[in-house]
Amino acid sequence: MKRTLPIIVVFGFGFFMLVSFFIPIKGVQDTSQTFQNWYLGVMAFFVFIGIFNIIKINFEKIQRRLRDWEYSIILLVCLFIMMAAGFIGGPSGGLFLYFFRNFQIPLGATMFSLLAFFVASAAFRAFRARNPEATLLLIAAVLVMIGRVPIGYWLWHGFPNLVEWIMNVPNTAAKRGILFGIDLGMISMGLRVLLGIERSYMGGGKE
Amino acid sequence: METEKNILARLAHLDRRIIFLLVAIAVIVPLLIPIGLPVDITEPVKNIYDKVESLPEGSVVVVSVDYDPGSEAELYPATEAFLEHCFRRNLRVYMLGLWPAGIALGNMALRTIAPKYDKKYGTDYINVGYKPGGPVMLLSLGRNVADVVKADYAGVPIDSLPLGREVKSARDMALVMSLSAGDPGVLHWIIYFHARFGVPVGAATTAIMAPQQYPYLASGQLLGLMGGLKGAAEYETLVKRRGRAIAGMDSQSIVHALLVLFIILGNIILIYQRGRR
Repeated sequence: MKRTLPIIVVFGFGFFMLVSFFIPIKGVQDTSQTFQNWYLGVMAFFVFIGIFNIIKINFEKIQRRLRDWEYSIILLVCLFIMMAAGFIGGPSGGLFLYFFRNFQIPLGATMFSLLAFFVASAAFRAFRARNPEATLLLIAAVLVMIGRVPIGYWLWHGFPNLVEWIMNVPNTAAKRGILFGIDLGMISMGLRVLLGIERSYMGGGKE
Repeated sequence: METEKNILARLAHLDRRIIFLLVAIAVIVPLLIPIGLPVDITEPVKNIYDKVESLPEGSVVVVSVDYDPGSEAELYPATEAFLEHCFRRNLRVYMLGLWPAGIALGNMALRTIAPKYDKKYGTDYINVGYKPGGPVMLLSLGRNVADVVKADYAGVPIDSLPLGREVKSARDMALVMSLSAGDPGVLHWIIYFHARFGVPVGAATTAIMAPQQYPYLASGQLLGLMGGLKGAAEYETLVKRRGRAIAGMDSQSIVHALLVLFIILGNIILIYQRGRR
C-alpha cells in the first residue's frame, strides 16, 4: 500500500492534468484549475521546508564542529537578521532594503564577478586547439567573443552580422537538436512516472 | 630564437595572479578613462524596442524580474532601460518575479525610473511580488490572475489598486518581458504562457543564456532578446539613455580582447610544446 497508493495518486492526477489540457470544457478546466491551486499552496509550503532544512543542517554542523562550521554561524546569523529585518519593516522596509542593497547585492555581484578571473585563467591554460573539433569550437568562440562587444564592431562593421549568423544558424541547429533530445527524454520520463515504471521519486523503503 | 623559446617556456608557467591582475586592469582602466566605443544595434534587441513603440498608450506590460543580485550587474541596467521606455511611452507596468530576490531589485528600478515620469503606484505600475510555482503558476496567472495574485508585494489587497483590479487574465496583457538569469525564467514564459495564451514574450538574459534562446527567436516564440550587458547597452542606445550598460561596454570590450589574446598565446605555447616533443 505504501507504494501502490502514491502510484495511483500520481497516475490519476497526472493523467487528468494531461488530458484536461486538450479538453476545453468548463467543468474539466475548473477542476484542473483547482488542482493547480493546490499545487501552488504546496509550493509555497516548500519555502518553509527549505528554510527549516537550512537551519537544521547548519545547526547540526555547528554542534558537531564539522569542516568549515564557522561559516554556518555566519550563514545562520545573516539568515535571522534578514528575516527579522523583513518581519519588522516588511519587504519594502528601510532596514531590509538597506541590508539588501549594501550586503546582498555587492556580495552576489562579487561572487559572479570572480568568474571573469577564472575564465581568463582557463582561457590561457585550457582553451587549446588539440583536435579539429576543438579548433572549430575555439574559432567560433573567438569570433563570438570579439563580435559580441563594441570593439568587434569598431574593428570591422561586419562582425556583428557574422556573429548573428553563427548564433542563428550553427548555434540554433545544435541547440534544436539538444532540445529535441531533452524533450523526448522528458516525455519518456513523464510516461514512466505516470505508468509507475519509474519509482525512484518515492525514495527507498519496502512495500 | 633561443630567447623566444625561453619566453614561451616561462609563459607556459605564468603565475595565474598575473592573469588576474591583467583582467583587473582591463576592467578598471576603461571605467575610469572611457574610450567611447560605438554600440551597434542587433535585430533581436531592435525587435523589443519596436514592439514597445507599437503598443497603444495605457497597454499593460508584464515585467518579470527573474534574477537575483548575482546577475544584477548584467540585468539591472536592462531592467531600468526597459522600464524607462515603457513609462516614456505611457505604458503601464505589472511587475512580478519568479525569483524571490528579484522583487527588491525590481522595486529599486521602479523607484528610480517612475518618479522621472510622474507615474503613480497602483495606477501606472504595480509590483505583485514573488510568485512561486513556475509553470503551474504561469498557467493559473494567464487563466485567472485572481487565483495567483491576492495582494501586492507589500500585502496591500490587489482589489484596492486600480491596475490590480483591471488585469484579470492574459487577455489584459499586451507584452511580457522576462529579465531572466536561469530557471524559472524566460523558457517558462515562452513554453507555458506564450504557447497557451499567445501573449508576446521578450527577454533580457545573461550573456551565457543568450545562445539558448535563439531557437525560440527563430521560431517566433520569442519576439526579441537582450543578451547580457551588450543587449542592455543596445537598448540604452535605442532609448537614448546613458546608463551603466553603455558605461560597461568599454571594459567588456577590453576584457574580451584580453581573453582572445590569452587563448592565442595559450595555443602558441601548445604548438611550441608539441614541437619540443
